[in-house]
Amino acid sequence: MAAERIAENKRGVLGWINPHNCNAERWAYTFQRITGVAVLLYVLGHLGDTSFFVGGPIGAGPSESSWAFISGIVENSFGHLILVMVVLVVTFHGINGVRLILAEFGVIFRKPSAIEYPYRPKGLGVGQKAMFVGAIALAVIAALMAWWILFEGPL
Amino acid sequence: MKDFTLAVQRFDPSTDQKPSLDEFPVLFREGMTVLDAILQARDYADHSIALRYSCRQASCGSCGMKINGRPRLACYTQIAELKSERVVVQPMDNFPIIRDLVTDLSGFFEMHSALLPRILRSDESEMENPTAEYLMSPEQLDRIHQFTYCIKCGLCTSSCPTVGTDSDFPGPQALAQAYRYTMDVRDEGGAERFQLLDTQHGVFRCHYAGSCSAVCPKGVDPALGIQLLKRHVMSARPPRAKGEGAKVWKKEP
Amino acid sequence: MRESRLMLIQYVTAAAAVVLVALHLLLQGVLVPYETAISFGTVLASYRSIFSILFLEVLLVVVLVHGFNGVRIILQELRQTLAWGRWVDLGTVLAIVISVGYGTRTILLAVLVGPSA
Repeated sequence: MAAERIAENKRGVLGWINPHNCNAERWAYTFQRITGVAVLLYVLGHLGDTSFFVGGPIGAGPSESSWAFISGIVENSFGHLILVMVVLVVTFHGINGVRLILAEFGVIFRKPSAIEYPYRPKGLGVGQKAMFVGAIALAVIAALMAWWILFEGPL
Repeated sequence: MKDFTLAVQRFDPSTDQKPSLDEFPVLFREGMTVLDAILQARDYADHSIALRYSCRQASCGSCGMKINGRPRLACYTQIAELKSERVVVQPMDNFPIIRDLVTDLSGFFEMHSALLPRILRSDESEMENPTAEYLMSPEQLDRIHQFTYCIKCGLCTSSCPTVGTDSDFPGPQALAQAYRYTMDVRDEGGAERFQLLDTQHGVFRCHYAGSCSAVCPKGVDPALGIQLLKRHVMSARPPRAKGEGAKVWKKEP
Repeated sequence: MRESRLMLIQYVTAAAAVVLVALHLLLQGVLVPYETAISFGTVLASYRSIFSILFLEVLLVVVLVHGFNGVRIILQELRQTLAWGRWVDLGTVLAIVISVGYGTRTILLAVLVGPSA
């Protein structure tokens, strides 16, 4: 059984993370997946907590007490820390996603042509790495802004 | 560089429960490749090491394997460039292991064939009994030239994260060759290929991780080909319909 | 539906989500101070503005369609049996319908019903 699985030799889900093929696009792919799932989980939670504006799952209309109740649970340091992290991952996912859309429409690549050694793939390279780093940078900036707003002051 | 240790993964699925690493001291010489090291170990220490190799010049694609964690051709990787006193060689990921460093590429070739890697045209009589050449300008060749360099070594498919989980995904090699043939001005088979590519496990399961282009030893850059292919598949307009392929060109007498 | 159509939906919702989520974040803390933005009165007022209602509904649909389609793609890659594929597709549609339904319920109740204590 175990020997058969080893013989099949598929990397599996762990292969989605691979430190040996260190090209920037591979890291971007891994982070895009992780941040995507994380954002979706947050959004589902957010749907839940915002529904307390109308009294929650069993509510019947806007209710100030119900809103105060949920605010008491989420509006604290831990909740704000979660929000800062959500801003971080959402911004990365969005900016990297824009890079992916442009790439998958072939807009940001130079045309294929005859190639010479040493081979520098047009599909990868400085532009892609720059956009990936840019996405991380913008995400960190957005998270710092969120920290400033939510914790009312610098770090 | 000093002498170093070569660690070779040994695994025979018919007798072993799990792989093991056998270590061999190797005498280094200038210009030594990983293939040279494995052959030295096989010739002088353990004749039972199983590996595939042929041309020794990065032309046949036989000696693909994982060297210090990264898919590379053994004949094309200098020991000196690894900058390590321990060289670990393992079979390529994502291919079934036959024994030791030898993997089963039959599924890989089937995926390649399934995407119709040949010129498809309506004028079969001309193709079977050619009277002249098909006209293709140097600029038209340039657009597919790099993709024709594929030696089917399997390194790209080995490094692809999607291939690691999705056994119905054709892999970067097959998809890049699908692009190569679809964009060939002589080909009229775009519509047939698009039907195979526009499926749940087709071209859109590529997420542009780019590892295929990072490991390709011949500069094929499959990631580029696949992203350009996606645009065509999404538009559902093949470049050429039947009868619109490059014309036969007869030289003036 | 062809996979290329589903991917087009993914890209269109992605582009829309970038704009709408950015606007949502700006309106909830940058252009309007955060404490004010989350107060009961401000939120109630936003449910009285047609622009705001439409904005929230579109944001809801775009983000959930994009998110669940993304999860569908990830799950499809994990196993390749026909049954798994069908269950994942069905699960995705159900998840979208249920979550969009729940969010729309919140919006409708907030818009149509008067506030209480």
